[in-house]
Amino acid sequence: MPEYTAAAVVGLLAVVVAELVWFRSGVLRLRAFWVSMAICLLFMVVTNGWLTKLSAPIVLYNAATKSPWRVPWDIPVEDYLFGFALLTLVTVVWQWDGRRSGVEPTGRHRAPATDAEPRDAAAAPH
Amino acid sequence: MDHLQYLMVLGACLLVTLPLEVVLGARVYRQPRRLAVAVLPAAALFYLWDAVAVSRGHWTFSASYVTGVTLPLGVPLEELAFFVVVPICSLLSFEAVRNLLDADRRTAVPVLALVRRRGSLRAAGSRPVAGDR
Repeated sequence: MPEYTAAAVVGLLAVVVAELVWFRSGVLRLRAFWVSMAICLLFMVVTNGWLTKLSAPIVLYNAATKSPWRVPWDIPVEDYLFGFALLTLVTVVWQWDGRRSGVEPTGRHRAPATDAEPRDAAAAPH
Repeated sequence: MDHLQYLMVLGACLLVTLPLEVVLGARVYRQPRRLAVAVLPAAALFYLWDAVAVSRGHWTFSASYVTGVTLPLGVPLEELAFFVVVPICSLLSFEAVRNLLDADRRTAVPVLALVRRRGSLRAAGSRPVAGDR
């Protein structure tokens, strides 16, 4: 397997493993995450399409270290794995930190609204 | 101008996604500590990935479309900007989608609150104030 192809696959797998074993933020189970990723994918095709277009490329790839597939237009398929790894990692840590700091409900032990009041009142006195 | 092309693509990303914070109440920029915790470590990891990829010849950058400012380990300034800007855009998207999908969060969407206010015929002459319920 070409180097960039292998790195992209391993990179994405590493992020998924980090979520499942370490962070356990639960974003991969949220419908909003997948809807958001689909939206990001559309915009990624536009922006990455511009960056990689072979007529005037901003980023130039070494054919020897990647697969021959570019979809659509001139976007290397590896870029989707690279991008998805980056965005998933960021979203996982965002959600993980939100839960840790109490901004996000933890889901399994969702506290009644009244339980949250003393902390809110202390944090932001009116 | 051509040398700014890559940076302008990233600037366009920030501009296009800004309404998600303002209109759809994403609250990403308004949680700067959480944003830094989420974005900076990932940006650092992908910066290193980029440095390795550049050194191993996986990709190069057109001298015509970048500023030419190169950071340590041979990574162009634009790539670091990419690793910060694109994750911010995706978090804005994630939070905006959540606000729209989750009934509990829908109350936090400014544009929907505005529509409700219009509906109750209170809008004439009064501008919504931040934090106003």
